[in-house]
Amino acid sequence: MTVLAALNGYYDRLADRGEVPPFGYSTERIAHIIVLSPEGETVEILPWQSLSGKKAEPRPTAVPQSFKRPGTTPRSFFLWDNGKFVLGLGVDKVTRQRVAHPANHAAFQELHRRLLAGTEDAGLAALLRFLDGWSADRFDACGFTDAMLDQNFMFMLDGDRNDRGEPRFLHDRPAARRIWERAVAEGAGGEGICLVTGTRQPIARLHPAIKGVMDAQSSGASIVSFNNDAFTSYGKEQGLNAPVSEAAAFGYGAALNALLARGSGNRLVIGDATTVFWADASGGEESAQRAEVLFHDLLSPPPAEDADEAQAIRNALLPVSQGRPVREIAPELDERTRFYVLGLSPNIARLSVRFWLEDSFAAIAERVGRHWEDLRIDPAPWRTAPAVWMLLRETAPLGKTENIAPQLAGEVMRAILTGGRYPRSLLAAVITRMRAGDPVNGVKAAICRACLNRDSRLGTKKTEEIPVSLNRDEANPAYRLGRLFAVLEGAQRAALGDVNASIRDRYFGAASATPASVFPMLLRNSNHHLAVLRKGDKPRLGGWFEGEIGQILGGLDSGFPRSLRIEDQGRFAIGYYHQRYSGKAAASTDRPGATEQTVSED
Amino acid sequence: MAYGVKLHVWGDRACFTRPEMKVERVSYDVMTPSAARGILEAIHWKPAIRWAIDAIEVLKPIRFQSIRRNEVGSRVPTAAVRKAMKAGAVEDLRMVAEENRQQRAATLLVDVAYVIHAHFELTERAGPGDSEAKHLSMFNRRAASGQCFQQPCLGVREFPANFALLEDGAAPVSELPLDQRDRDLGWMLLDIDHANDMTSLFFRAALRDGVMAVPPLNSVEVRS
Repeated sequence: MTVLAALNGYYDRLADRGEVPPFGYSTERIAHIIVLSPEGETVEILPWQSLSGKKAEPRPTAVPQSFKRPGTTPRSFFLWDNGKFVLGLGVDKVTRQRVAHPANHAAFQELHRRLLAGTEDAGLAALLRFLDGWSADRFDACGFTDAMLDQNFMFMLDGDRNDRGEPRFLHDRPAARRIWERAVAEGAGGEGICLVTGTRQPIARLHPAIKGVMDAQSSGASIVSFNNDAFTSYGKEQGLNAPVSEAAAFGYGAALNALLARGSGNRLVIGDATTVFWADASGGEESAQRAEVLFHDLLSPPPAEDADEAQAIRNALLPVSQGRPVREIAPELDERTRFYVLGLSPNIARLSVRFWLEDSFAAIAERVGRHWEDLRIDPAPWRTAPAVWMLLRETAPLGKTENIAPQLAGEVMRAILTGGRYPRSLLAAVITRMRAGDPVNGVKAAICRACLNRDSRLGTKKTEEIPVSLNRDEANPAYRLGRLFAVLEGAQRAALGDVNASIRDRYFGAASATPASVFPMLLRNSNHHLAVLRKGDKPRLGGWFEGEIGQILGGLDSGFPRSLRIEDQGRFAIGYYHQRYSGKAAASTDRPGATEQTVSED
Repeated sequence: MAYGVKLHVWGDRACFTRPEMKVERVSYDVMTPSAARGILEAIHWKPAIRWAIDAIEVLKPIRFQSIRRNEVGSRVPTAAVRKAMKAGAVEDLRMVAEENRQQRAATLLVDVAYVIHAHFELTERAGPGDSEAKHLSMFNRRAASGQCFQQPCLGVREFPANFALLEDGAAPVSELPLDQRDRDLGWMLLDIDHANDMTSLFFRAALRDGVMAVPPLNSVEVRS
């Protein structure tokens, strides 16, 4: 199925749950209700706030649909809008002074006088009387304050309640709904085939704005848009280039906005890719929701507060990493549930689809398990399984999310979810970080191992799998050199204690790329370190280092290679990590591997 | 299909852009019929014949990759071309890509291979010298020797297509994995009806055992 068709299907699921507005309506953040008397007098201004968050915020409410307002001619929304339109007043951003916006107010008046002409509905007539009687000098007398002006207003007839006893707003009155339905139908363009549903319907010229993608414009960005003539074909204009019916465009937009909404459990921000995912309801609504929660945990395991909790999470997700079928993790889950994953990244006012995946949930869970299996390394650098953003952070200078290379997040996600190769840039980025002096920690070593393992499994040149934990018999020269480097560093630390620049700080990059130019010198210097140990109070430790160096050099058949390829630099890092943090050495004081699970992802 | 041809095409990358995502391009999963027709026409086409695609067989796993490319945001307007034709001077007909450059993302297919099953029909512009046998042998001769009018491409010009004529019975082995052999591909662009106000024609595409059947232009399955 295509992206838009699948989203449109998800809209039906949301509509069944009553979580999305119907066609022609959208959910907007409304801050105030203007309560009108039947004569059009302002009775009072009621705040309309959601109390779920920490502080009171404008409350999301289904109102007649908003649209993008480009250009200079103001266009008003129906039966709601901000202060500039409703009252003709705004607050200047710089001077904080109240300013009149006569053109906006005129647009509001014009729209409502036109659509509401001849209405017999008491509420709508009250609005018309309000517009006739309104002037800016009544502002304070009616109870408005400057702080309200930037926010959205809607209207209500005094004392109007629906059958559940909740306030009924003007746009919820049946007469208003009928007028709005007619207005929406008239606004539609010509008929054509809809490439989402395949039926002949009015075609949407402009597509809905999608809000909530990280780094995109806050007013929303579009997936489907044709704002330059290079994008159009065969003389077609705007939406006719990609005929999608008004209803389908509304449906996919509402569904995507619901997925991207703040607090939606169906959204993950990983690098520059905002990822949304959902299941279809073929296995029942409950099964679908369970699958969505599980997927979120798989890609971003919840941070553990304490050891018990970490153990519980690990136990819950363990079967996945062992490649066991989904029914062992979540027996109530229908394995055939279709699952959809969509990765979006902004490009100014447009969204680009970074990856799109549709598969059974069981298959996706299995691939995530394989991803974890490829990452497995001893000693384990994480308490629960690693979240994807945590891996990507290791590729970024200064460990900052905004420094992650563009495209990389999307490609890594695609590799995880499809079971394909990791992008080559992932290995290169991790190695670049290590050579630039970032600590060689378990996460980086695990990424190296995962990249190499997957390449050898999927590639044409089958090589041995990289060991999970220290393998003293491994013959690969790069791996052995990595171990040797760790031993030499250990000898230096044992002999001299903490120094300003250890051999790792100085030579890691050179040693992993051009061993022949560095190792002979390092070995010469290590003689000095070993001599200090032998003559000092740790002769046995000196002997142990000497034995280890001998064991490693004994397995190197042909001297030091002049240079190592990037894959071998990865093996070097793994060998270094294994040797440095395994066994005895693991008991040493610093374990940089135990990564902080404190940073949350969004 | 007495005049059927089978052409094996392959390439490192392909982008059969979906109309709804053609700015930040996203490719269809499978080559579109109009892209297949373009490849055949690059090898042999005359006003006397019209190519019709019967089926497209997918030989390689469907794999995506996203890259960024430099594209331009505008194009030379038709009016400017007309003016230049009238004046007989082309100095103003230029576009400097550097001044117009935009970086855009594209999610495209990597390592693709298809077999195009197609036939052609003679059009009303066929003269007395045009016979089906003549054009068939012209196509076969040109395709077998690798001749083409312009380099055939996989959706966009940047991704050239290699091609080889498949003689009777010869068929390359399909590497399409089992779980990708049957899938619904949604509504796909079939072609543009140039005679009818350049209407887009769509059909419901699906892979059945690795083969996408393409309905004829005038069939009831085609919607416009």
